[in-house]
Amino acid sequence: MSEWALHVEGLTKWYGSTLACRDVGFTVAAGEAIGIIGESGSGKSTALRCIAGDVRASSGRVLLQKEGGAIDLLELSDAERRGLRVDTLSIVFQDPSEGLDLRVTAGGNIAERLTAAGWRNFSAIRSRARDLLDRVDVPIDRMDDLVETFSGGMRQRVQLAKAVANEPSLLLLDEPTTGLDASVAAGVLDLIRSLLETTRVTAVVVSHDMSVISMLTSRAIVMHQGHVVEAGLTDQLFEDPQHAYTQQLVSAARG
Amino acid sequence: MEQSNLSSREPVLEVRDLRKDFTIHVIGRHVEALNGVNLTVGAGEHVALIGQSGAGKSTLLRCVWRSYRPTSGHVWLRQRDGAQIDLATADDREVADIRRQQIGYVGQFLRAEPRRSVLEVVARAGIRRGAHEDDATDQAVTALREVAIGEDLWGTSPVVLSGGEQQRINLAAGTLYPPHLLLLDEPVASLDAGNRQRVLERIGHLARDGVAVLSVFHDLEAVRQLATRVVALCDGNVVADGAPNEVLELVAS
Ligand SMILES: Nc1ncnc2c1ncn2[C@@H]1O[C@H](COP(=O)(O)OP(=O)(O)OP(=O)(O)O)[C@@H](O)[C@H]1O
Ligand SMILES: [Mg+2]
Repeated sequence: MSEWALHVEGLTKWYGSTLACRDVGFTVAAGEAIGIIGESGSGKSTALRCIAGDVRASSGRVLLQKEGGAIDLLELSDAERRGLRVDTLSIVFQDPSEGLDLRVTAGGNIAERLTAAGWRNFSAIRSRARDLLDRVDVPIDRMDDLVETFSGGMRQRVQLAKAVANEPSLLLLDEPTTGLDASVAAGVLDLIRSLLETTRVTAVVVSHDMSVISMLTSRAIVMHQGHVVEAGLTDQLFEDPQHAYTQQLVSAARG
Repeated sequence: MEQSNLSSREPVLEVRDLRKDFTIHVIGRHVEALNGVNLTVGAGEHVALIGQSGAGKSTLLRCVWRSYRPTSGHVWLRQRDGAQIDLATADDREVADIRRQQIGYVGQFLRAEPRRSVLEVVARAGIRRGAHEDDATDQAVTALREVAIGEDLWGTSPVVLSGGEQQRINLAAGTLYPPHLLLLDEPVASLDAGNRQRVLERIGHLARDGVAVLSVFHDLEAVRQLATRVVALCDGNVVADGAPNEVLELVAS
């Protein structure tokens, strides 16, 4: 079996006396994509943000395999965490304004991520940004336009380009196509799938939409009221859901 | 020498005491679909499952593929490298790897991959099983020709094609860069006579090349043509297991 890249264990988050997620655990192999599915409020985004470090977990472990051994992301200092977010761990949000500065150009957003990783040569940065935008099908002649002039689907593409700019080993996607028109969402989904297939990135995809999870992942966990109720191969969760809640989700998705 | 002969005679697939229950919680329904099934499939063997609708044929195939979670029992797979693994209890991550590299599953319907061309869909299946990209594309071309999918369709998405075309594409993908174990659930159900024959021939070649095949065919003519052994299921139990002629005769009487 392939080596694990990410191992999450006992991840728990309380907001005061309100439980957001409890005892979330899973292991992902290098290059694999795992899904977290559940309805809104199930705790899936909280779990993802705890992994990213944007939300401070109450307890648990988030081990990431790096050259030289595994590190626990929950034990990093703020400075270490910021460093990690530049070149090792990227997160793509449902709302592009969380991952991008809308009042900066598409090229400028990407350049910002590259310079954070130490890129200094202007023409090298331009050329890398151009390649990245090309890869996500953003027309090169829009490179110097402000992102706020872009459509929702295009913004999401720029956010993806920025997220993969420094070839992170771990990519977290939080409802990456939710809120887009169906045909636009389909295009963005295709793009994500091809990024996952053509790179060695390890990914965690959070979505309430079973079709998104089934398109992007081979394994998934199901969350309900903060807990993991079931884990399995993605097609098994669809065809032979074990838990009452998963059965409900599947029959609702079938309509 | 002795050793390797011995191991090559060991079955590729060995199903032991396999039970599968379904519990639908909301409506409180409980179904016992498989009640302790035993069967084996060796390399180069083609075992066909027969039985009435609801007998548990598809359930058995899916328990092996692990899109259904077996309730109890064993699904031993002797892998390409000789290592044994129980697919009934193996870790999901391990099953995902083995599936991708060693098992082909061809259902009645194409698991549609939207916005991806016919040629890509087929070639990717080979790449997953370890073929090089160029090699996979060459083989995909051969496979698509063999099942009579014309070149004019290779660039389109399978989603827009007819049921019969999808089924043939599905079969081409499932058999490319041949898997170690091939599971077929009514793979010719929506084909006309000519196409049906083409597909059956391709399946026949695979078994002769050493692939272990476990199948369900709607029409017994296909079973007669391809099966080296037939297993009859009734209400989730094996009621006959033997030479095709004998079992088919037994069931007919
Ligand atoms: N996902 C499922 N959930 C609940 N019950 C199921 C499921 N899949 C199969 N069953 C039940 O298991 C039993 C066996 O069904 P199965 O599909 O295996 O039969 P089959 O032999 O393939 O029939 P057919 O020839 O009609 O395809 C049936 O009672 C069926 O309703
Ligand atoms: Mg069936």
